Amino acid sequence: MKIVKKTPRILITIILFLIFFFPFYWMFTTSVKTLGETVRIPPTMWPEIFQWENFKRAFEAIPFMQYLGNSVIVTLSVLILQMCTIVPAAYAFARYKFKGDKILFGLIMITMMIPAQLVFLPLFVMFSKLGWINTYQSLILPFASSAFGIFMLRQTFKQVPKELIEAAKLDKASEFKIIRKIMLPLARPTLTTLGLLTFINTWNDYFWPLVLTTKDTVRTLPVGIASLRNIESGVNFHVLMAGNVMLVIPILIAFLLAQKQIIKAFTYMGDK
Amino acid sequence: MSEIILKNVRKDYDNKSTVIENLNLTIASGSFTVLVGPSGCGKSTTLRMIAGLEDISSGELYIDGKKMNDIDPGDRDIAMVFQNYALYPTMTVKGNIEFGLINAKIPKEEREQLIEEIIDIVGLREYLDKKPSQLSGGQRQRVALARAMVKKPKVFLMDEPLSNLDAKLRNQMRSELIELHHKLNATFVYVTHDQVEALSMATDIVLMEKGKIRQHGSPHDIYTYPKNVFTAQFIGTPEMNIIERQKFEAIATLPEQIAYIGFRPSKVKMYEPTQDQKQKLVFTGTVLTKEMLGSEIIYRVQTNMGVVAVKMFSDINLNLDDEIKLSLSYSSIHCFDENKNRMDILRS
Amino acid sequence: MKNELLKKAKPYLFVAPALIIFLVFSIYPIVSMIQLSFFEWDFISPTRLFVGFKNYIALFQDSAFYQTLSNTFVYMILTVGLGILFGVLLALFLNKKSKVNSFMQSIIFSPYIVSLASISFLWMWLMNTDFGLINYILSIFKIGPIDWLGSPKIALFSLVIISVWKTVGYNTIIILSALQSIPKHLYEAASLDKANRRQTFLKITFPMISPTLFFLTIVNIIASFKVFDTIQIITQGGPQNSTNTLVYSLYEYGFKFYKIGYASTIGVVLLVIISIFTIIYFKLLSKKVHYQ
Repeated sequence: MKIVKKTPRILITIILFLIFFFPFYWMFTTSVKTLGETVRIPPTMWPEIFQWENFKRAFEAIPFMQYLGNSVIVTLSVLILQMCTIVPAAYAFARYKFKGDKILFGLIMITMMIPAQLVFLPLFVMFSKLGWINTYQSLILPFASSAFGIFMLRQTFKQVPKELIEAAKLDKASEFKIIRKIMLPLARPTLTTLGLLTFINTWNDYFWPLVLTTKDTVRTLPVGIASLRNIESGVNFHVLMAGNVMLVIPILIAFLLAQKQIIKAFTYMGDK
Repeated sequence: MSEIILKNVRKDYDNKSTVIENLNLTIASGSFTVLVGPSGCGKSTTLRMIAGLEDISSGELYIDGKKMNDIDPGDRDIAMVFQNYALYPTMTVKGNIEFGLINAKIPKEEREQLIEEIIDIVGLREYLDKKPSQLSGGQRQRVALARAMVKKPKVFLMDEPLSNLDAKLRNQMRSELIELHHKLNATFVYVTHDQVEALSMATDIVLMEKGKIRQHGSPHDIYTYPKNVFTAQFIGTPEMNIIERQKFEAIATLPEQIAYIGFRPSKVKMYEPTQDQKQKLVFTGTVLTKEMLGSEIIYRVQTNMGVVAVKMFSDINLNLDDEIKLSLSYSSIHCFDENKNRMDILRS
Repeated sequence: MKNELLKKAKPYLFVAPALIIFLVFSIYPIVSMIQLSFFEWDFISPTRLFVGFKNYIALFQDSAFYQTLSNTFVYMILTVGLGILFGVLLALFLNKKSKVNSFMQSIIFSPYIVSLASISFLWMWLMNTDFGLINYILSIFKIGPIDWLGSPKIALFSLVIISVWKTVGYNTIIILSALQSIPKHLYEAASLDKANRRQTFLKITFPMISPTLFFLTIVNIIASFKVFDTIQIITQGGPQNSTNTLVYSLYEYGFKFYKIGYASTIGVVLLVIISIFTIIYFKLLSKKVHYQ
């Protein structure tokens, strides 16, 4: 009786699982199939021959390590710079009253709504005047701060009890020390959350490196992998999927390791 | 030794509301001074100005003869214990105690030694590596004390440090603080709204109301010679009975200037005919309510001069609606003029 | 005296780095874009020709622009509508706390954190007309083959499917967290009042999550205007302009046809549309803050 009642539920769960998981499964299996096997009808659910050369081919067709290195450089730089600009700004907005604080904060909040897809053209003009096209700084600096990050961290700082800071003042702590030893340790969950969000967004970004780079020397992985399509003819999906797997794997590993935290991070973002 | 002097101190917030208009106060070196008063009376603000956590709008503050107005809190040689303890939640007990010492650039060996000295006094040895969240309220209180004590300051400031503890623990901590004050030989400035705390611990009480000092004196002085009706009623439980002149004249006549008379509920006795009647006021009443406290009972009694609180030992057990005859020694009556200030006429 | 000055300047110094970044990389480009929209410029020639409102007039007389505009809004309405609808259904389905459900939550959410570029290639392969998995599965049920990405009538909807597949997990977890913050006693009261499931949903669940739904709707709308990766990788705006959106045509006019002024004009239109929804968003946000 109980099982009968539960059957539709189990069925829906299985269907949902297939809808959301199977495309990834298909990506992985295609990436090791031979070209002949990828175009076979009916398709094979499990590869007959594991052709690992696909990865080698994808790896050799594009300067993969260069792209990877660029992705790491850009992502790390954005992460570090964001922390350097967010922390003092959030601290000032949370702890100080100063002339124009509300206007400045409002201005920063408005920029939260200005997407890169809207401002890339004037920035491209500006960067080309500066000779910054195909440079790291053009990929990094526009994302060196985060309005959302300032908003979140300000909330966190505001929740720190006033007495804690007063106690530290009486303990002869300098303001810098108060930030480093008291505020930041208390804000660690928020910082981790913001760091994860920035990591995922920067690592995955396709648009910005696409419009601001033309050379492999600074291109990041998503754009690099996409260039496989131009090198391999459109039907070589096994190689394309192999490249794709290499692009997705770091993020999937991060997700496997910290899925609770990542889901919490995104929920947290939506709650505010 | 360190005397604290506040001279013509004024405190405004945002240039709008004035909390303290003109405060003059000298806190004796080595005293255990308790600032007490109802909420909003400016006692916490005063303490925080001494600490340097609030700016002084005008006037001067001296600690140990040195002007402190522009000195950073960390450089005033003071320590403070907060109501909610304000322990650093991300540091261990040891980290909390050590933080101020590290900031004062005290070498490691000396720090270890100082912590060693303090840790047994507060009985926290096994908790050194715990985080504050793992401790009970009483233990947190001790950490806060240890953090203050380890700096060996000349002045200890405490802002309602016991109000988050349960009643039993509070009593225990009270006697420990008294002991500590004896041992440390430092000046204690303690803020509370609880007059029992003030009476039991202070060497000096500063009673404040609406930013003004209403009376400054020893607990004994304040209790026995209240300078005004406010003090008389604020100190002592249940509060002193204050009777307006007209009502009191229902049972006795009064010299002219007296506008109010007051007497403590504990001074009212059951009338015994053998007593010398000339030194006593005798009146009758009906028991309205009865509040059993243990060794004592508080009655509210309807008399000709109105409802009067009476406190008696519980060996006299009255029932509601009992008609009773009471007596009150003239010497325990306090008189106040129409400005509610003390007059010493009847006493002589 | 110097100390006093430093004390006053401190908060400004703290805010300055972030503020400079925003001024240079967000505020300035907006101003610059509005300015460029009044010029004719091919990016290469040294002089820009001031043309007044010519770009705007040309834009509003261009039938392709109206197609782009309509594509943008059709795409927005479908992705947001379906995304929220499926988000609610999935959240209700997974609302009970269990191991299976939390596992499913992760599975459904996983596409959201994968690069959209990857997802685009993956779905290009799944939606391949001749060898794609989807058409094969449909052929079992004697449907198709469907030209998912090559037919002007279908391509835009295919992009909608991809977008919903990628983002529905985000909507689901946000709605789930809203569902789980509904106080239990409301449901207990409802069951004491003998409310049936439909009534319980309409009278308790839905009103309690509706602020979250409003909020999500706006966030989804603004996100939908930014769609670029799938279009650039899969369809390049085609076939027959059927998947061209504002952002993509802004990119095309700027980077393929070098009509900087005209592209900026499209940018200004997009700016106006996003601003309208941003204002709504901030109105909601300030209300939400008041509730807390």
